[in-house]
Amino acid sequence: MDFSLSSERQILFDTLTKYFRNEYSLERRNEAASSDLGFSRDSWKSIASLGVFDALLKPELGGFGGDPIDIITVFEAIGSGLVIEPVLNSALMSSMVLSHGSEQQKAVSQAVLAGEARPIFAHFEDLEQYEIHSVETQSTESGNAFIVNGTKSAVRHLVGACHLIFSARTSKTSNEKDGISLFMIPLETSGLTFETFESIDGGIVSDVTFSNVRINKDSLIGKKDQAISIISEAIETGTLALCAEALGIMERIKDITLNYLKTRKQFGVPIGKFQTLQHRMTQLFIEIEQTRSAIMNASFWFNDSVETRKKYLSAAKYTVGRVGALVAEESIQMHGGMGMTWEYDLGHFAKRLIMINHEFGDEDHHLNYYAKFSA
Amino acid sequence: MDLSFSNEQENFRKDVRNFLRDTLKPNISSKMKLGILLSKDEIESWHNTLNEKGWLAGSWPKKYGGQGWGVIESFIFEEECSAVGAPRILPFAFNMLAPVLMAFGSDKQRGYWLPRMLNGDDWWCQGYSEPGSGSDLASLKTSASREGNHYIVNGQKTWTTLGQHANMIFCLVKTSTKGKPQEGISFLLIDMNSDGIEVRPLRTIDGEHEINEVFFTNVKVPIENLVGEENKGWTYAKYLLAHERTGIANVGLSKRRIGELKQLASETKKDGKPLIQDPIFAARVAKTEIDLANLEITNLRILSRAQAGGSPGPESSILKILGSEIGQEIDSLTRRALGRRATIHVPNILDYGYNGPNISPINAATAAGVYFNNRKTSIYGGSNEIQKNIISKAVLEL
Repeated sequence: MDFSLSSERQILFDTLTKYFRNEYSLERRNEAASSDLGFSRDSWKSIASLGVFDALLKPELGGFGGDPIDIITVFEAIGSGLVIEPVLNSALMSSMVLSHGSEQQKAVSQAVLAGEARPIFAHFEDLEQYEIHSVETQSTESGNAFIVNGTKSAVRHLVGACHLIFSARTSKTSNEKDGISLFMIPLETSGLTFETFESIDGGIVSDVTFSNVRINKDSLIGKKDQAISIISEAIETGTLALCAEALGIMERIKDITLNYLKTRKQFGVPIGKFQTLQHRMTQLFIEIEQTRSAIMNASFWFNDSVETRKKYLSAAKYTVGRVGALVAEESIQMHGGMGMTWEYDLGHFAKRLIMINHEFGDEDHHLNYYAKFSA
Repeated sequence: MDLSFSNEQENFRKDVRNFLRDTLKPNISSKMKLGILLSKDEIESWHNTLNEKGWLAGSWPKKYGGQGWGVIESFIFEEECSAVGAPRILPFAFNMLAPVLMAFGSDKQRGYWLPRMLNGDDWWCQGYSEPGSGSDLASLKTSASREGNHYIVNGQKTWTTLGQHANMIFCLVKTSTKGKPQEGISFLLIDMNSDGIEVRPLRTIDGEHEINEVFFTNVKVPIENLVGEENKGWTYAKYLLAHERTGIANVGLSKRRIGELKQLASETKKDGKPLIQDPIFAARVAKTEIDLANLEITNLRILSRAQAGGSPGPESSILKILGSEIGQEIDSLTRRALGRRATIHVPNILDYGYNGPNISPINAATAAGVYFNNRKTSIYGGSNEIQKNIISKAVLEL
């Protein structure tokens, strides 16, 4: 057994964390987060130039990595920097989906690697909380076109994207696994309307509504009605990445809080001298170690059978959800008033950590899933 | 033992309910239900409405313009107000300063300040915490030195809630460095419009401006603004904290919010069924509801005992701890119930002139912000850790 990273991956992790620490200040991040775009184009290009995308993508997608360990290595670094750029969706998940597409569609994915294109994959709707097969958006064949109606909900990073990759139902009813297809269209396609909202953890989310949107047949990605496995694979990979992002955030919160406990004085001593806080901080430390183990486990089993992958992935996302809330809430509490202020780093990490629980299934969702797989 | 309310109390409840039905504006209650911070005008307007009825300071003795309500009446009033989303009466003047003035102030101070509170002439804020003195409040450093008929105040206060609206602040200041730190503290009333005072906003993690820092540089305060005796301020502050506790269990508020949570969870779906039918989620809600039902009785037990014995004792720390924790659990469940849409943050959704998109369910606009903002409730007014210290020392004698 070997729990250490290979030297190449260690170098990648160190390079990224150093870059984020030195070049990606929280102040700049928050400035970008509150801009009209919701992130920084410059930072996006810089991240691309660091070789992040190559590390995330398998050779058949044009990268030289794509192993689950590559993904958790990159995303732990992304979490530690509280990076708000759309690496997860535009670089990783979109490319995975497009790899099943036509040569023309694959070309968009190639352009992402070169930093020249930025598609966004929108799947979830309001219908259900987190079930992957809950798709109601309809795409009906009409001659040599499809007519699309429906709404994709709370899509991060949609503003400023070049293409919209989306799922829609081409047959069956809204809660069945078959009958879902994937499409890619330019974002400026007529008939699309957008409503944008500020996101609590920074940046912008959009609802995109299709009203009788007529799209060409060649917008279809892969086989009609058969997209569920492509979608699942992208979301499962995204879930692993999010778990690692959460871990990177937890480690940062641990550092911030430890530093505070050692330096903030009340009653004449650093507050870390009080046993009640020592025990609570110790509990966070233990839980974060358990989270790291859960993510290692999930990455190890990721390329096993679908059932095994899903089981350990749910175990990891459940752990991230439960521990994430604990870490966010306890770290704020141990800081007292300081933890409540915008000017202090902690709150921004805590907000993102909590909101990760609202992507790709929360603690309860994955506990339920795990129970099904282990029964 | 009889846990029911008397006929008189039930009639009072009906009066309160009728009054609220006739006077509470729908846009105000909508804002309250979404956890949106009210404007200065909105709060003052509600205070005036209550004052016209004589209910702005119902628990005050009649001779000061109150109704002489006991704890049960106050509880019923609070519960009914919370049930329909009426604004909270700001505690700084009515629940915090006024009891101190009644107990320790001079006749002149009572005669001057109490009527002004009722009339809305002053907006009071609290000057206790300092950057270096939070849980260790007695270590505070803001100094007041006597010069003729004035104190000269220098220092800094922080976490000053709604200080941006205030024209008056009651402060704990250091008037002597002799003896134990608690022995050199005095209780001073300071005009916020004095020269040398600067108020700076502190943004909270949800982006709101609710708290402030207040800086004092050679601020002249007339000596008649000293409450009670010099160097006895710590005693008054402790008295004040005990009085602050009476509404702090937030039973009425949490009851309403659990109802709203259940409604929300019956509208959102999980596995093709309403979320509230998901066994895991339903269990979370049920646990919280049980905790709250227990707290309702614990609250009345502690308050009734307090009524018999004067002011609530250290047991009231139980109410602060449980009240904040249950409220925070409801915040957490509300955000969970919204699933992916919890990320939406549109705190100005009910502002006059808002022209952004509609949000459905509307709770999504504020739920996450409220969840983060309410982390403060286990921190302010003496953190829950301090409350536990109080219980272990003063109640359990550990």
